Amino acid sequence: MDLEVTLNGSQERLEASPADSLLDVLRAHGYTGAKRGCDTGDCGYCTVIVDGEPRQSCIVPAKQTDGATIETIESLGRQEDLHPVQEAFVENTALQCGFCIPGMIMNTTAALRENPDPTRTEAREAIEPVLCRCTGFKKPVEAVLDAADKMQDAEVATDGGPTAASETSRDEGDGS
Amino acid sequence: MSKMEEEPDPIPSDADSERHGVVESESGSPDVDAEDQFPLEWNEPAENRKEPGDRRSVSKSVEKYDARKIVTGEATYTADYRRQFPNLAEAAVVRSDVAHGHVTDIDTSAAEEMDGVYAVITPDSDVVPEKPYTSAGQSYPEPTPWDLTVLRRKVRMVGDPVAAVAARDTQTANRAARAIQVEYEELEPVLDYSAATEPDAAQIHDGDEIENKQPGHDYERNLQSSFEGEIGDVEAAFEDAAEVLETEWETPYQSHCVPEPHTTIAHRDEDNRYHLISSTQVPYHTRRQLAHLFDIPIRDIRVEKPRIGAGFGSKQAMVIEPITLALSIAADRPVIYETTRKEQFHAMRSRHPMRMRMRTGVDESGTLQAMELDVLSNTGAYGPHGMTVAGNVGTKPLPIYPRVPNVRFAADIVHTNLPIAAAQRGYGAPQGHFAVECHMDELARQLGEDPIEFRTRNHVQEGDLDRISAILADDDSHARRIRSCGMAECIDRGREAIGYDDLEQPEEDHLHRGVGVALVAQGSGVAGSELGAAHIKMNEDGSFILQVGGVDTGTGTDTMVSQIASETIGCEPEDIVVHSSDTDIAPFDYGAYASSTTYITGQAVKKAAEDAKRSLLEWAARMLEESPAALQVVAGGVESEVTGERVSLEDIGYESIYGEDHREQVMGEASHATDESPPPFGAQFVDVTVDEETGEFEINEIVFAADLGVAINPALAEGQIEGGEHMSLELAVGAGYEFDEEGTPQVLSYKQYGMPRSTEHPPMQSILVETHEPSGPYGAKSIAELPTNGVAPALGNAVRDAIDVRIHELPITAEKIRSALEAAE
Repeated sequence: MDLEVTLNGSQERLEASPADSLLDVLRAHGYTGAKRGCDTGDCGYCTVIVDGEPRQSCIVPAKQTDGATIETIESLGRQEDLHPVQEAFVENTALQCGFCIPGMIMNTTAALRENPDPTRTEAREAIEPVLCRCTGFKKPVEAVLDAADKMQDAEVATDGGPTAASETSRDEGDGS
Repeated sequence: MSKMEEEPDPIPSDADSERHGVVESESGSPDVDAEDQFPLEWNEPAENRKEPGDRRSVSKSVEKYDARKIVTGEATYTADYRRQFPNLAEAAVVRSDVAHGHVTDIDTSAAEEMDGVYAVITPDSDVVPEKPYTSAGQSYPEPTPWDLTVLRRKVRMVGDPVAAVAARDTQTANRAARAIQVEYEELEPVLDYSAATEPDAAQIHDGDEIENKQPGHDYERNLQSSFEGEIGDVEAAFEDAAEVLETEWETPYQSHCVPEPHTTIAHRDEDNRYHLISSTQVPYHTRRQLAHLFDIPIRDIRVEKPRIGAGFGSKQAMVIEPITLALSIAADRPVIYETTRKEQFHAMRSRHPMRMRMRTGVDESGTLQAMELDVLSNTGAYGPHGMTVAGNVGTKPLPIYPRVPNVRFAADIVHTNLPIAAAQRGYGAPQGHFAVECHMDELARQLGEDPIEFRTRNHVQEGDLDRISAILADDDSHARRIRSCGMAECIDRGREAIGYDDLEQPEEDHLHRGVGVALVAQGSGVAGSELGAAHIKMNEDGSFILQVGGVDTGTGTDTMVSQIASETIGCEPEDIVVHSSDTDIAPFDYGAYASSTTYITGQAVKKAAEDAKRSLLEWAARMLEESPAALQVVAGGVESEVTGERVSLEDIGYESIYGEDHREQVMGEASHATDESPPPFGAQFVDVTVDEETGEFEINEIVFAADLGVAINPALAEGQIEGGEHMSLELAVGAGYEFDEEGTPQVLSYKQYGMPRSTEHPPMQSILVETHEPSGPYGAKSIAELPTNGVAPALGNAVRDAIDVRIHELPITAEKIRSALEAAE
């Protein structure tokens, strides 16, 4: 069977078999940024954004995504022109082996669209679906907060407006 | 800043040493020769010690070498190489569903008839080697028994591989594997490791079938190995002691939860050689072990490690490469084997469960006179790393107290029909620190002394001669002089950061807050059993290509080596292109384990870069018509201190390769091997609030202060600390597998396992305490495993501080605290 999807902004027709997960189909078509870590929807390494929602693509049946809009890590920046979320993970050294990082970045991207100014606790919640084994989550939480700042700055720059400080509501108890 | 790896200790690095039985070394009188044999002074080149302001690349948080390809999703892990092999077959493995038994029949007919099945292999297949080997990725010969076969006629755990298939796609491979019928004659499984050596326990291994057996083995009693070492006279010291304290401790299985499940691609290349792309921490050991196992010359095997989804010791092992290679030969095409998460929990590797007994004696003045640690370790169905991990249980934490004159340390390593335990970050030290540091805390409290003050009186200092780390060796040659030690500063800064001296109690009467501390130590490589090598060459544009065997498991090794090369040569880190971990391309390296990479590989890189720099300065001298001694490398070039004249690195690059009179590429190469393994030190603090009514507790904050010598890359070093604490936190509160009465693990996925998520993590503070280790590259020691040792004992001590109960068995749970509170009433 074939799926018709909007994948990273362009119309694509993807070949799939009935038993395939969305992760199977994406990886078979070269979108290998999403990683396979468990196949049970627990680790979050395969997270992509489907119709605006972060989804663990290993447990999304491919056939259910016919007609969907899908965004993968490949839709964000290039190495020389990173998306602010990617830039924040690089600058905060919020990565080690990197296997979970596409999942971290897609969860962060989706969360910041919903809530552009997260508290530290909300930043922790944004990456809760992702079982990172390397970082102890400290630097990734800092990266989520930094990404929020970068995206707000970028917006302000685009608007040409004054650089409003967005440093307010952060410290609610979780002082890491 | 190397990383997450683990390792054997001095004893066991001699596999042929049936000689370790009881080993006693003399002690007592201060050894006059010790000053000569283990001098405090180290013959350190002046340029190895740089003040912070004089460092070009070292001590800078240089951007991680692979960061940009990771965040764009372009980093290529083994499974991502599928597209390069159009005729790639997928593997699936038939694994035992009984814990102990003999395979009586394997019917593969239905699988073989399936469309799209390319190969089916069983223990009877010609391509499947018969001979025993070990999966432990260690130096040769491995200090581990050869007790595994590629496919097994006798199964010793749920998950033992019995047969395997290669097919056109995953679904076909899985269907074919399910169609293979295996019949077993079941045997009684051994599930309680305390009872494994009892006469009525079933015998798991036939010792006659095992080669390279280790000291103290007795397979009729399911004993993989056994050892004992003593300094001084422990029994006499206990008899004379004013007070003796004895305690018992227990730790559970822990999964590595390695993000990337073990994955291997094997194929025969156009040169008729075998090429493996594999998620391994030990490409060179794997190459050698495959060559021996399959009777293929080493020269005809290439093992390449691409980006790897971490290791933590799970991949210091040749776990799936033999099955994949056998399938590839049988199917005569490339094969990929990508393991599942369930296979990770059942059939890959894990941390050894242990039961430990610790005893100490103090004299009238409260001075420690004797320490004794007895260990029972469950290595599971097979014994990779069994003896060497058990060695670290004592030889890592006990040397924190190196001036104790009488010390005894012994261990039995036993088999059960449970999952295979092997190398895991910390390599026995996390279990040992739980026993030693909880015990010392209890001892201090029973002496009526503040636990920190007690430790301050007793802990290791610069200048100490540590014989305890060599307690299992048959002579003193692996004793070590402590040439750098920041333990006191780690304690002071950690104590201040956690607020030890002004802790506020909660207002609610039933809530109690406490702080616990644990001191920790590790090593920097396996003393006397390491080799790192590096080669560096200059390109026309003044950049360099560095080839290095060191294996970056995600820790930042590739970044670290570029910083050391850049510091040495005087160029920028981004001028160094790093090629690592490919046995065809890079010089030899033992691999990523034992926290060795910065200390061993880093020193090889420094020496190779010095070699290249000599050649570079000779070229500059020729071009500037100056003596090399008058020249120094400055930004982008070489400058004469006499005339101020300058030649760019690019000009040197072109001249060295295209010059009219003389052509010689600027290159350098070096190996590094040493008997030294200086310990990094640290202090872990945990601040906890416990509810005395429910036993529930909340960790308010954790602080870790680390003496890692000079941090080559501080941000990456902090990452090691925070990740190590994460694994230690899990051991403290979440680890452990449940089994049914037949030995089947009840953990099938992450859902049944207690890995902490981001929202379950307390706030963390990481403190880097700089000392200078004269034997390390630019003063560096290791950091990777050290922080895996502290959270479990520090949490146990914090709970004791808060509500006066002691939890002896990990993980620490509300239920255990509640039971202990009830028992205390």
